[in-house]
Amino acid sequence: MASPCEVHVADASRDLAGRVLEAVAGEARRIERKWSRYRTDNVVHEINTAGGRTVTVDEETARLIDYAANLFELSDGRFDITSGVLREVWKFDGSDRVPTRAAVAAVLAKVGWRRARWRRPELTLEPGMQIDFGGIGKEYAVDRAAALASAISNRCLLNFGGDLLATGPPADGRPWRVGIEGLAHPTRAAKEIDLKQGALATSGDARRFLLKDGKRLGHILDPRSGWPVEGGPRSVTVAAPTCTEAGMLATFALLHGPDAEAFLAAQGVRHWCLH
Amino acid sequence: MQLKKRKPMRKLRNVGTPLAAATCALLGQAAPRTVDAQELAPWDFDTSFLIYSEADGRVQDLSLNGIARKELREDSFLNLTFALDSLTGASPSGAAPSNVVQTFTSPSGNASYTAGAVNPVLDSTFHDQRIAASGSWQWPVTRLTLMDVGASISNEYDYTHLGVDAKVARDFNNRNTTLSFGVALASDTVDPVGGAPVPLAPMLGLGNMASKRGDDSKDVTDFLIGVTQVVNRKTIVQLNYSLSNSDGYLNDPYKILSVVDAVTGSPVPGPAGSGLYRYLYEGRPDSREKQSLFGLVKHDFDGNVLEASLRYMTDDWGVDSQTLDVHYRWGLKDGRYLQPHVRYYSQTAADFYHTVLFDGRPVPQFASADYRLGEFDAITLGLKYGMPTKKGEWSARLEWYQQTGNADPAARVGVLTNLDLYPDLNALIAQVSYKFGRR
Amino acid sequence: MTGIRRRLAVCAALAAAGAALGGCAGVEPWQRDVLARPDMQLVADPLEAAADEHIYFSKEASSGGQGFGGGGCGCN
Repeated sequence: MASPCEVHVADASRDLAGRVLEAVAGEARRIERKWSRYRTDNVVHEINTAGGRTVTVDEETARLIDYAANLFELSDGRFDITSGVLREVWKFDGSDRVPTRAAVAAVLAKVGWRRARWRRPELTLEPGMQIDFGGIGKEYAVDRAAALASAISNRCLLNFGGDLLATGPPADGRPWRVGIEGLAHPTRAAKEIDLKQGALATSGDARRFLLKDGKRLGHILDPRSGWPVEGGPRSVTVAAPTCTEAGMLATFALLHGPDAEAFLAAQGVRHWCLH
Repeated sequence: MQLKKRKPMRKLRNVGTPLAAATCALLGQAAPRTVDAQELAPWDFDTSFLIYSEADGRVQDLSLNGIARKELREDSFLNLTFALDSLTGASPSGAAPSNVVQTFTSPSGNASYTAGAVNPVLDSTFHDQRIAASGSWQWPVTRLTLMDVGASISNEYDYTHLGVDAKVARDFNNRNTTLSFGVALASDTVDPVGGAPVPLAPMLGLGNMASKRGDDSKDVTDFLIGVTQVVNRKTIVQLNYSLSNSDGYLNDPYKILSVVDAVTGSPVPGPAGSGLYRYLYEGRPDSREKQSLFGLVKHDFDGNVLEASLRYMTDDWGVDSQTLDVHYRWGLKDGRYLQPHVRYYSQTAADFYHTVLFDGRPVPQFASADYRLGEFDAITLGLKYGMPTKKGEWSARLEWYQQTGNADPAARVGVLTNLDLYPDLNALIAQVSYKFGRR
Repeated sequence: MTGIRRRLAVCAALAAAGAALGGCAGVEPWQRDVLARPDMQLVADPLEAAADEHIYFSKEASSGGQGFGGGGCGCN
């Protein structure tokens, strides 16, 4: 998950809280093991080292790939799980080392969901292509873990690195009080939100960026061009019934750059943008 | 995956519904739960309308109040309050009832009013509007120390108040213990209708202002030291000691005392040509020192809260009082609640409280017949109901307040023996409030 | 005057007791859920408290205790 994960359980005995924690942590670890691109023993590794070979995936992975394919269409190609290879030329470490157009173009040849062949449950990538579930995995984990937690207690709040989901309020009539991290002061909330149930997911570029000639380049890359999306908000938070939906809408919004707010307004969802 | 020929897409299509449907398919959920997320407003508001109504034609007060609170930066708050009051009705003047009709000169000196035989003497010549406002700023000086500074003003027809206050609170013991210290300074100006009367001077006839002077003022200094202690997860206690010193004009300019015959209890004639019986304007000392000890405990019983407090007060005017105040907040479903309230109050009379003065005896240095300085018990019974709404909370309360006092036993002579020298005070309090904003 | 001195002594003793109590009671920060509730605050309803303070200040000889009187008035 690459971030601290926690679950809050209200009005619970030590035993109950322990069971919720076990369920949530167990599910988070399972998903991490299954789809982390850093591991060499999972289906993602198999796909990424297949070298043009067809790989048959399990039911859960198939559902996730179906979802990613849907997202690709819905976002007009802005959301693309094959865009991960761009990290070979883009290192967002705060320096001014921006890649050349030629370098980006070279890597871009290995990006594009259209180049992949998906005939459920068989996935065939061109040699050199890679898939990366990083954009969906954390939010999916929150939803799955929350489903397991709600079977035990309905007063849980999950927080996986800023992606939140409340299964229900901590007490009747009272909400969870959560904050959206500010840009200037990370420890001080820019906005405070009362959450009774549902999810809040945040996408942003507060920490990873490049700075060249006074221009700040955020780490959200447009897979169609290979270059960072410009002119958008630095952080987008969306409220939705599930964390996956909230996360995807937040990501889509950022991918729309300057049209982010208009995009979110068109969806009719509660959102907050920080510039 | 084969491409279908795409029409040029509108940039901002609504993807919400297909996204929700796709997410449903991914997560395998039949019906997604709804989302309930509300951004907190920057301001907290608390407003109320109150009606205070005493029986027997006495005082009525309509009051509009508001508090606004804003968080300026983390843990730093700005508080603003305002109050508007409209007072009507009649107030006991301190004169004793008698078996004859009594005539009085109104405070302005331009009119007179009467009290029928046997009836309590009420002065109905005042109607007043009062406006008050205050502001305070609270901020953390260090992580464990909170500072609060504030100012207040109020104005009514015959009274102006200006005040400043400061308080510092420090946490100890893992924030389980808080020590507070506060100071308040006030400077009030009294400009009574007709002028402030000379203490213990006689009430004169229409147009005669010889017993009256101009305006006057008083200064009040308050100190408070307190400790708050968390006892356990469900209990908190507070103990405060306060010292208050007032200096200056402390009289009630509209209160008088009756001078009666020591044997018959009947009023005696007033100054020649005034057409009045003999009444003296009250005179209190020009300083007062009050001390009080206040203790409070709040305990949670699984969502129901009991709050009980006890206050002892003593001052150098000879008044001692005890107050016991209990609230029980009974939580109902969905955040609604019912809160019964009982308050018991008891005070002794001031040393210079006299129900009446006797003709022929030396006039004391200080004297007042103001029922509020007499010996009495008071009880309040109330019920409050609260109901949260999407953005706030409505509440309404109804309380009944009754004061039962004892007149000076020495006053029961002659005709005064069977008259009601200390009528009960019965008042109804109704308040409707609405809170909205952050909390 | 002795009455006042005695009362001062009582209150000093109570304060000392309070301080001693401080040493053995209390909760950890994560146990403050109940105490953080609005209805468990020392002054849960400031407008109600202010209204009551004003009424009783006008009708009785005592005032304050939990806080200062916020503003005087010529209440009669």
